[in-house]
Amino acid sequence: MTTMVEAKTQTGAETGFQPRIVAFVCNWCTYAGADLAGTSRLQYAPNVRIVKLPCTGRIDPLFVLKAFEGGADAVLVSGCHPGDCHYTSGNYHARRRWSIFRKLLDFTGIDSRRVFFSWVSAAEGRKFADLINDITEQVRAAGPFEKANPARRRA
Amino acid sequence: MKVFDANKLNDLAAALAAKGYRVIAPVQDGDVVRLAEWAPGAKIQPGVIPVNSAKDFLLPRSEVIGRYSLDGNDFTPQQVTPEAPKTVLLGVRPCDAMSLAALDTVFNWDYADEFYNARRAATTVVSLACASADDQCFCTSVGGRPDSTAGADAILRPADGAKRFIFDALSEKGQVIAAAAGDLLTEAVATVDAPADVPQRFDARTVTRWLADNFDSPLWKELSLTCLGCGACAYACPACHCFDIQDEATRTQGVRYRNWDTCGLGLFTLHASGHNPRPDQSARWRQRVMHKFCYFPQRFEMLACTGCGRCGRLCQAGLAMAEVCRRIDEASKVAK
Amino acid sequence: MSGMDALRSDAAKLLRDGAVKMVVGYRARGDQRVPAFLTDPDKADALTYDADCKQNLAAYLRKPEVRRHLPLAIVAPPNVCRSLVLLAAESQLVDGEVKVLAVGNGQYHGVLDVAGVAALLKEKYPDLAPSEELVRKIGELAAMSPERRGAFWMEQFERCTRCYACRAACPGCYCTRCIVEKNVPQWISTAAAPHGNYAWNIIRAFHLAGRCTLCGACEAACPQGLPLMLLNVRVAQDVEEEFGAKAGYDPAAKPVIGSWSPDDDDEYMR
Repeated sequence: MTTMVEAKTQTGAETGFQPRIVAFVCNWCTYAGADLAGTSRLQYAPNVRIVKLPCTGRIDPLFVLKAFEGGADAVLVSGCHPGDCHYTSGNYHARRRWSIFRKLLDFTGIDSRRVFFSWVSAAEGRKFADLINDITEQVRAAGPFEKANPARRRA
Repeated sequence: MKVFDANKLNDLAAALAAKGYRVIAPVQDGDVVRLAEWAPGAKIQPGVIPVNSAKDFLLPRSEVIGRYSLDGNDFTPQQVTPEAPKTVLLGVRPCDAMSLAALDTVFNWDYADEFYNARRAATTVVSLACASADDQCFCTSVGGRPDSTAGADAILRPADGAKRFIFDALSEKGQVIAAAAGDLLTEAVATVDAPADVPQRFDARTVTRWLADNFDSPLWKELSLTCLGCGACAYACPACHCFDIQDEATRTQGVRYRNWDTCGLGLFTLHASGHNPRPDQSARWRQRVMHKFCYFPQRFEMLACTGCGRCGRLCQAGLAMAEVCRRIDEASKVAK
Repeated sequence: MSGMDALRSDAAKLLRDGAVKMVVGYRARGDQRVPAFLTDPDKADALTYDADCKQNLAAYLRKPEVRRHLPLAIVAPPNVCRSLVLLAAESQLVDGEVKVLAVGNGQYHGVLDVAGVAALLKEKYPDLAPSEELVRKIGELAAMSPERRGAFWMEQFERCTRCYACRAACPGCYCTRCIVEKNVPQWISTAAAPHGNYAWNIIRAFHLAGRCTLCGACEAACPQGLPLMLLNVRVAQDVEEEFGAKAGYDPAAKPVIGSWSPDDDDEYMR
């Protein structure tokens, strides 16, 4: 039995479509940046669920597919700026991988309205908050991930 | 006898659909003929054996057989009702109809499979006798015939030089179809066309006998060298029925699937320890042939192969069950 | 094909001289063309080659039962030559293990080693490209909206039965344990349901990114007629556009997805 990430939406005051966004982030930069956003009391949309990994180089394209399979409306992958990777070159590997994978996703029906990539450093708390807000609004405009998309699990 | 014009096959399908049947028939699909759900506008193509078999509609390639929800330590299974719409397999080959005996047996042997049985009960089989065959067909080598009625509720026989079909109801279900066809079927006399000529390619009893004594024959290595270990043959085969059960779950709910599986894949017998009792393709090919021609007859007194020839048509590596059996037949003649 | 007799006689000679233990080629079986595994030089006349030979024989190099017969000779049209160069670049072939009976453009190019094959490709087949028809279809798909593209692929993947004939036919798929066979956890659903079929076909296409030599054996092997080359060619186009790389030309090439450059484009990253 596999355990998978679920993205629960907040109930309560929010009305209308609430995007469910899964963010795969690296521990040393983006996660720390997200932490900084928190400690700085910066408000950002609660629609994102963060999955922490040691490095973007560890992020297998399968994780992205699994998120969409489970019904995520969008996925963000974020890590250290080129040259700043804690493991020296993990983000370089990731960058090369994503440049092709995102096009494959687009060609098969999951386009750039739902797949996002960023470099966010540990000092960029503000950038992280703005990024999440921006992405959330973009995905809200794009609408829910189509139930008819083949990537989605139906049963 | 009841007859109808050969060019009224689509009308027959429409009449049955109007009576609430899901009509499965061999329809033209691009370059190939495929057994698929008939819809108005589809063209039934009776002259070519479809690439897939009737098995698809009794044992789907993937189906949900269970659901459950999880709440902490609480596990609540949910009943899943088999999807079994009233179905007519219209114009399936006698080799497909014959395979149903094997499937019925296996799915009611040590366990009555409610999913298979529900669909089987809801299905009426209307065979189409073969007026032509190709060089991959070998029904006559495995106890079949191009006009066999085994497994059929009714049979359509080409007649009057392929201008008409004679409709023969063979069971109550078949008679219901005749009634549903209404005035499409007329009482008339027609001359049945000669069935296809399918020369015997090997002797199945010889093969079964040889298999019992030749587990370690070097022939297995030679025959299987070309096999690349995919499931194309098993999945197209009307008699193959192995499956895998997989659960796909989140933290709060799960779905249990039953998916087709094939002994051709290395993973099929891989143990959790890492040991694989069928470690190479030669062992896996041996298993495939023995299951159909040795183990199944030992247990159930019938072969698990009906000579449809799909394996031979599909295999890019040049393997075909008929060819393998022919080689075995030959080998047994040369033997000590 | 002109030179068929020369090919057969070269194959027989290689076997007779003990230079190879087996010749992997094609033979006719009625209308079909199927792989042949020749160990007897006197049977070399059974070898044939024509445009109907669609299997990529380099796929057999993954089988221990075939490798047992190394050194061996293998009949190879240009895209299969590329597969052999790819296998050499990925350290799956050692120098001298394989002699290539190279064919192409209706001619026989003689017995070559991997370096010779790379030179042949550079000289005679430097611009191997997919058919115009395929490129046009890809363009049509690319011009559709994402929803329509999703619907198109949904319809295609509906037919997939997960028989893995595509993987079996592909010389680039030589993992002893494929990613779909990893079940702790089961990353790719094995169900022949839309989500499983989507994941399988997409991931296979991605694992071949920068590696696929466009031989088309996968599409030829698919019993359901899935248009797999639409995916593989599209990915190959993206790889060539982004990194200027074409698989199977340079036996010393570094893997495209496995390597990186500080200058790789990241305009799409925020």
